[in-house]
Amino acid sequence: MIEVKNLTKIFNRGKFNETAALVDVSLKVRDRSIVALTGPSGCGKTTLLSMMGLILTPTSGEILYDGESVLRASDYWRTQFRRQNFGFIFQHINLLPQYTTLENVLLPLYSSDLAPGEYEGKAREWFSRLGIADRADHLVEQLSGGEQQRAAFVRALIKDPMYIFADEPTVFVDEETSRLIYGIFSSLRDSGKTIVLSTHDPELMKLADEVFRFSKGRLC
Amino acid sequence: MLRKHRNLLDYSFDCLRRYRMRTAVILVTFLVATTMISAVLFAKEGLEREAEFSVEAAPDLTVQYLKGGRVEPINTSYIDIIAGIPGVEKVLKRTWGYAGIGAYTFVVVGLDPEGLDHSRGVITSLEEGRFLKPEDEGTGNIVIGKLIAYMLKVKVGDDIILLSESVEANKFHVVGVFSDSSSIYTADLILMSFSDANKFFSMPEGMVTDLCVYVDPAEDPASVASKMNSVSNIRVLDQDLLLRGYKAAYGARGGIFTTLWTILLVAIAMIAFSQAIVVGHESKFEVGLLKTFGFSTLDIIEVRLVESLVLGFFAASLGMLIGYFYTAFFNAPGLVDILLGWAYLPREFRLPVYVSLQSVFSIYAVTVIPLLITTVVPAWLNAITDPELAMRRAAA
Repeated sequence: MIEVKNLTKIFNRGKFNETAALVDVSLKVRDRSIVALTGPSGCGKTTLLSMMGLILTPTSGEILYDGESVLRASDYWRTQFRRQNFGFIFQHINLLPQYTTLENVLLPLYSSDLAPGEYEGKAREWFSRLGIADRADHLVEQLSGGEQQRAAFVRALIKDPMYIFADEPTVFVDEETSRLIYGIFSSLRDSGKTIVLSTHDPELMKLADEVFRFSKGRLC
Repeated sequence: MLRKHRNLLDYSFDCLRRYRMRTAVILVTFLVATTMISAVLFAKEGLEREAEFSVEAAPDLTVQYLKGGRVEPINTSYIDIIAGIPGVEKVLKRTWGYAGIGAYTFVVVGLDPEGLDHSRGVITSLEEGRFLKPEDEGTGNIVIGKLIAYMLKVKVGDDIILLSESVEANKFHVVGVFSDSSSIYTADLILMSFSDANKFFSMPEGMVTDLCVYVDPAEDPASVASKMNSVSNIRVLDQDLLLRGYKAAYGARGGIFTTLWTILLVAIAMIAFSQAIVVGHESKFEVGLLKTFGFSTLDIIEVRLVESLVLGFFAASLGMLIGYFYTAFFNAPGLVDILLGWAYLPREFRLPVYVSLQSVFSIYAVTVIPLLITTVVPAWLNAITDPELAMRRAAA
């Protein structure tokens, strides 16, 4: 279980452009569930996802994984934890343009003791499932936005992570692919994964076990 | 664990291949900088070694006569005065000057016949023919430098004509050609008997250019030289002074050397700039993303370290190799005129090149270390930033 306690994030603290992105947010995410964060743009969904994914340090508050506070742990420990347990799907996709689709997908494996080459088959299977098998060896800049989104999806799943953080995962994809993604999320949950996503997609929210609504950095 | 390091190594090499512009900028800049710096350094060291070699071939002390502060021929009556100074083993007379053949100028030296069999202070390594003997006195027999033999296309057994001080044609017979091992000292040297040189330079009776003093090996030349202070109107040059003079001659040419070092530093600054500004955003984003995937700060540093080391060592090594070929095989066009020594040496003279471990390490140090700093430090700073922030800032 993920527990978020009184989480606050203030950007540019003490400066003229100080912004409170998230204020005193507390919530719980049960294991083997899909949790959706929703609300208007700028309400703090991405900030919360980043903090839960340990890629952004909160100004105050606490995050617990299975009852253990992770914010007090060292950067090295958090990095290890992220490597072993997390998969990310970013709102801005964040693929490296110099790499092919397949290479981008295998990139998270380079920081581990796993052989990236051995995961090529698995990556290609996912590409087939998501309809981008023929784009595997293309540079990502040659892919459409939707295709890139699907590649980013495969990258997040390649290491079979326990927790998946997805920021607007269906924003660039067509209806058919969206439906495919709903199915994948659903089967991931069934296989024991925990998925936290931010979305405006009503279908995704329907799929979620719990929906948290945000407004101006606060939980409504 | 080893697998992970292999992955990181693969990723580093991948980066070099993929970030072609970054790789090319660093490679070309470093190549140009190290080529220039190594050419100058290797040639400078070669010249300094030659200078040391020349000084080893010089007498322990050289005594010159000063009149009004200017050097003039010295009377041979000084020989007895100096020979009487404690510690002096031998005093030999020497007459020398310059002679022209066409557009070229050569050094003509006449040696005291008594000194021809002296074991110290005379270069006798020859490529062909023989060295002068006391019997050569007044015969017109000469030993010439390899450069002269090459330029005038003469060999042992040939005759050459030199125009004397009184513009008379003097015929000389080549009996020997110096070897390469005495390169800069003997390159433009014409060695003849003492009486031939005196006649050639129309030296007044009883006068010579200078006196060569050999000190008892058990004595310190400097302390023997200090005992000569009581002799009026003379100047004593020891080997250290000669060496300093030779090195100063190159030092004066060090302006270009300094300029090249400056160019190198500017090149490094440019790279630092490109690292910080041009590829900074790209680099920042990449580091943030890698951290998200679970690359630790140390992993990031390892990747950048390998990238910089491979690139730096490759560029510096290739630059040194090009610098060596440019100097040793092409005679450093553009540098040779600036670097060459104290006397006139024609373009045909091959620049001496010497590669010492010290200069190789210096070149690696001034190229690879700055590159390491300019790549690893920003990478470390990015790596200790929250990944999300690093990516946001890069995208901003």
